[in-house]
Amino acid sequence: MAELADTPLLEMSRVSKTFGPVQALNGLEFSVNAGEFVTVVGPSGCGKSTLFNIVAGLEEPDDGGILRFKGQSCHAAELLGRVSFMPQRDLLLPWRNVVDNAILANEIEGANRKEARAKALAMLPEFGLAGFEKQYPHQLSGGMRQRVALMRTFMFERELMLLDEPFGALDALTRTMMQRWLLDVWQRHRRTILFITHDVDEALFLGDRVLVMSARPGRVKMNCPVPLPRPRHADLVTAPEFIALKRQVLDAIEEEAMKSFTLSTGAH
Amino acid sequence: MSRSTWRGIIGTLLVLAAWEGAARGFQLPAYTLPAVSDILAAAWRTRAALIPAGWLTMLEALSGYAVGSLLGIGFAVLMAVVTPLRGPLLPVLMAINSVPVAAYSPLVLLWFGIGVASKVVMVALAVGFTVFLSALAGFDRVDRRSVDLMRSFGAGRAAILWRLRLPAALPLIATGMRVSTVRSLIVAIVTEMLGAYGGLGWIIYQAVVQIDFVQVWSAILVASCISLAFFGLVGAIERRVIFWR
Ligand SMILES: Nc1ncnc2c1ncn2[C@@H]1O[C@H](COP(=O)(O)OP(=O)(O)O)[C@@H](O)[C@H]1O
Ligand SMILES: [Mg+2]
Repeated sequence: MAELADTPLLEMSRVSKTFGPVQALNGLEFSVNAGEFVTVVGPSGCGKSTLFNIVAGLEEPDDGGILRFKGQSCHAAELLGRVSFMPQRDLLLPWRNVVDNAILANEIEGANRKEARAKALAMLPEFGLAGFEKQYPHQLSGGMRQRVALMRTFMFERELMLLDEPFGALDALTRTMMQRWLLDVWQRHRRTILFITHDVDEALFLGDRVLVMSARPGRVKMNCPVPLPRPRHADLVTAPEFIALKRQVLDAIEEEAMKSFTLSTGAH
Repeated sequence: MSRSTWRGIIGTLLVLAAWEGAARGFQLPAYTLPAVSDILAAAWRTRAALIPAGWLTMLEALSGYAVGSLLGIGFAVLMAVVTPLRGPLLPVLMAINSVPVAAYSPLVLLWFGIGVASKVVMVALAVGFTVFLSALAGFDRVDRRSVDLMRSFGAGRAAILWRLRLPAALPLIATGMRVSTVRSLIVAIVTEMLGAYGGLGWIIYQAVVQIDFVQVWSAILVASCISLAFFGLVGAIERRVIFWR
C-alpha cells in the first residue's frame, strides 16, 4: 500500500510531439503527485497547450514517449474522460444557462440531470455565482464566465485537473481575487491541479512546484519547489522568500525568452 | 409595436398612396398598372374564388416547406455524421441544385401529375436545397476546440452531434428556413401556372388568358399577404428559439 501512495499520479518521460515541420515538445520529463498543485510557465508557443492536449487525451505524443497515469503506462487516448480539462477559452455553450453549462460533463457521463442540477445549484455560492443560475453566457462578465467554466471543471470529478491559463484574460484586480479564491476551493476539494500560466507571480503564489518550460521545442528546463506555507495570503508576493524564488524563475524564463526571440528574428 | 414595424407600415402606406395617385393621375390602363383601390375592390368581389385558391396554394407551400426542411436537415445531419458520404454525394446534389428548380417542373408535372403532389415536390426541392446547404455550413462552423472539450469529457459522436453540433448549427438552419418561406410560395405559384386544377397560380394564369389584369393583381395581393405572414411567423419563432444571438 505504501508503494501505491508513492506512485505519482501522472508521469511523462521522453515525451515529444511534432506537427509536420514544427516540433512543439521535445523530451518532456516530469511527474505530478496526488494532491499537488503544479504550475507550468514558459514563453508563449513553447508547447504548454500541446502538453495539456496530450494529458487530456486529445493528441497522441510521438512514438517513444512514456505516459503513465496512476502508475499504469497508457496511450493518451485512454485518458479521454478520465481527466478534468479546462481549455484556454471558457467555451461555454451560448444556448445553455449557467447551471446547464456547469453540468455538461456530468450529462455526457450519463449522470441524472436533475441530481446534477441540484448539485450545481448547491455549488453556485462557492463559485460566486449565487442567483445567476438562469443567466446565459452572453449576460455574464468575463470573470463570471471563467468561474462557470471552472465550476464545470470541478463538477467533472476527476483526480487530475488541467487548467490552461484560466485567468489569462482577466484584469489584474479580478485576477488576484480569483487566485485566492481558487486556492480556497482547492484546499476544500483536494484535487491534483496542473495549471498553465504566463505570469510568474501567479505560478509561485499558487503552486507547490513551478515547472519552467524551455522555448520551443518545449521541455522542462527547471523544476522549482515553492516551500512557502499555506494558506497563502495576498501580502506573500512582497515577502523576501517569494522575491528570491521569483528571481530564480525569472532568470530561467529570461534566458528562454531571449532564445526564442533570437530564433524568431534570426539575430546573432 | 416596435419602431421599425411602424416605419415599415408607414413606408408601405406611402408607396400604396403614390401608386394610387400615379394610376389615377396618369389614367394608366389596367394592363400597365391598375389603381390599388380597384385591386382591393376586385379582390373583395372575387373572394369566393380567391380564398379557396389561397388556401390551396398555402397548403401546398406549407407541406412542401415541411418536407423540404426535414429532408434538408436530415441530409445535412447524415453528411455531418457519415463524412465519407460527402465525397460522392455532395457533387451530385450540387449538380442538381445548379439548375434553377423551375427547369425541373415539366418533369415533375409529368411524374407527379397536375394535382397537389407535383407542387409539394417542387416546393420541397427548392426549400430542401436551401435548408440543406445552410445546415451543412452550420455543422461545419462548429468550433474545433468545443468539440475537443466534449471529447475530453468522454463524449462520443452522438453526444457531440446532439449537444454541440446541432444547436451550434441552428442559427444558420433558421436563416435558411426563413429565406425559404418566400421561396416556397413563389415555387408553388409558378408550378401552378404551368399546370394545376386550382390555386393562386392557376387563377393568375386564367386571368392572363382572359386579359383580366386586375384579377392578376388581386391574386398577387393575396399571395403577398400569405407570404408576409409566413415570413413573419417563422422569423418570430426563430427569435424565440435562437435567443442567444
Ligand atoms: N494542431 C496543431 N497543428 C499544428 N501545429 C500546432 C498544433 N497545435 C500546436 N501547434 C504548434 O505547436 C507550438 C506550440 O503551441 P502551444 O502548445 O499552443 O503553445 P503554448 O500554449 O505554450 O503557447 C506552436 O508553434 C503551435 O503553432
Ligand atoms: Mg496555450
